[in-house]
Amino acid sequence: MPSTPLPPPGPGSRRSRFAEKLLPGGTEPDPRFTLANERTFLAWIRTSLALLAGGIAVEAFTTDVFPEPIRRGLSVLLLLLGMLLSAGSAIRWLRVEASLRSNRPLPLPLIGPLLAAGCAVAAAVVIAVIVLA
Amino acid sequence: MNEEPATAPLPADGPLDGDPGLQPERTALAWGRTVLTLIAASAVCLRWLPDQGPFVLAMFGLTVAAGTGIYSTQRRRYRRSVEGIRAGHLAPDISAVFWTAGACVALGALGVWLVLS
Repeated sequence: MPSTPLPPPGPGSRRSRFAEKLLPGGTEPDPRFTLANERTFLAWIRTSLALLAGGIAVEAFTTDVFPEPIRRGLSVLLLLLGMLLSAGSAIRWLRVEASLRSNRPLPLPLIGPLLAAGCAVAAAVVIAVIVLA
Repeated sequence: MNEEPATAPLPADGPLDGDPGLQPERTALAWGRTVLTLIAASAVCLRWLPDQGPFVLAMFGLTVAAGTGIYSTQRRRYRRSVEGIRAGHLAPDISAVFWTAGACVALGALGVWLVLS
């Protein structure tokens, strides 16, 4: 794909000034890679939305299960994790898109370890509460 | 990739998707699933309605507006993807990605504020 000359840009492929600023230089990647990157971003966003929903649900539905400080702590932990993952997924999308443009290897997903560590902490809190109850 | 010239006009009827991998269709479906998840996540907030009052409705309304924004641009997004595949290059949809991530961060921030208030 990069070796063939590009046809003149159509209405769907015109780059905005914002895009020129955030993703300067390089060459246009294969559009299938751009779409795959978008779908991966959306998968991360849905993961973050699941964490956000979990955080809200812990606070809204578990009044009789957890003592208040633990309930609030767990809820805030899940909500913060969801927020970090949302922002992180947009940053990752941008980094992958930049790598595609410059034909570099894809960056490591830093949000992966973040998700694993956050979920492990949340699970440990729940286990500790159940064991100590 | 399809065998037709890149400048061939899109067919007026029949399947628009010229990609054997159905990437435009799968991407549109991924956006659709995200809208559903966004609405479902914010609907959980409605459980707070008796305690927190109208603020929760405003929070739900914001996410419904974000979901409606994504849903109403689905057709344009799908057509843009198909045109991009046919032309061999597609501009990244930076604003859609950033708006979606921003809406999720805002939902989380409002949730934290509600939990701590």
